[in-house]
Amino acid sequence: MSSRKSRSRQTGASMITDEQINDLVLQLHRLLPELANNRRSGKVSASRVLQETCSYIRNLSKEVDDLSERLSQLLESTDSAQAALIRSLLMQ
Amino acid sequence: MASADKLINTDVPEKDVFAFHFLQSLSNLRKQNPFDTPDQKNYRVRKIKKAAYVSMARAAGGSSRLWSRALLRRADKDDNKIVRFSRRKWKISSKRRRSNQRAPVVEEAAERLRNLVPGGGGMETSKLMEETAHYIKCLSMQVKVMQCLVDGLSPK
Repeated sequence: MSSRKSRSRQTGASMITDEQINDLVLQLHRLLPELANNRRSGKVSASRVLQETCSYIRNLSKEVDDLSERLSQLLESTDSAQAALIRSLLMQ
Repeated sequence: MASADKLINTDVPEKDVFAFHFLQSLSNLRKQNPFDTPDQKNYRVRKIKKAAYVSMARAAGGSSRLWSRALLRRADKDDNKIVRFSRRKWKISSKRRRSNQRAPVVEEAAERLRNLVPGGGGMETSKLMEETAHYIKCLSMQVKVMQCLVDGLSPK
């Protein structure tokens, strides 16, 4: 048996029920309005939400990759005055 | 416990907190490795990407979330140059997860989610949902910060 202890709080029941899993998935769906933009029908299936969540995370990770590459190019040529301007802009 | 009592808490800091941490990381990078050495392009991109994820984890509260703790732990290992050829996956033991009794499609999608969320391999499914929602919100915020920086630095 794995000695790694889960920090998750145990509920009174020994295991979370399928109904509770579905409820959590639907909460995830409601909390991420970007995902809802892709939805046509009102009906939501748990597996569909999970699949779209995976796609969404992959898209975000790809954006981080692209932006990292772009930043690398830009920071190679920017001077300190411009950097200070960016800093103040970001802090607005 | 009623399901209504277990709402997912996904409060995340404001955008300027993420911006502060990311700019701080970039500033440290420039001190360590000057950006004006053209032969290290790929190395520089990887450093910036890592800075993005580490600063995001710090902005999110460091060790207050499982995913951010996992990210920071992974970064520390990188800094210590621990070489791993295969990635160990912590999985909840079969005793605590009844895969046979849950819809296979849902379980399959949840497994893919575990691979995408830092530290997801070791999470119970309900915890995975909570950490996923928080992680997505923070990752979205980080993307916005980086996009703002790129727009500002781009030649006009």
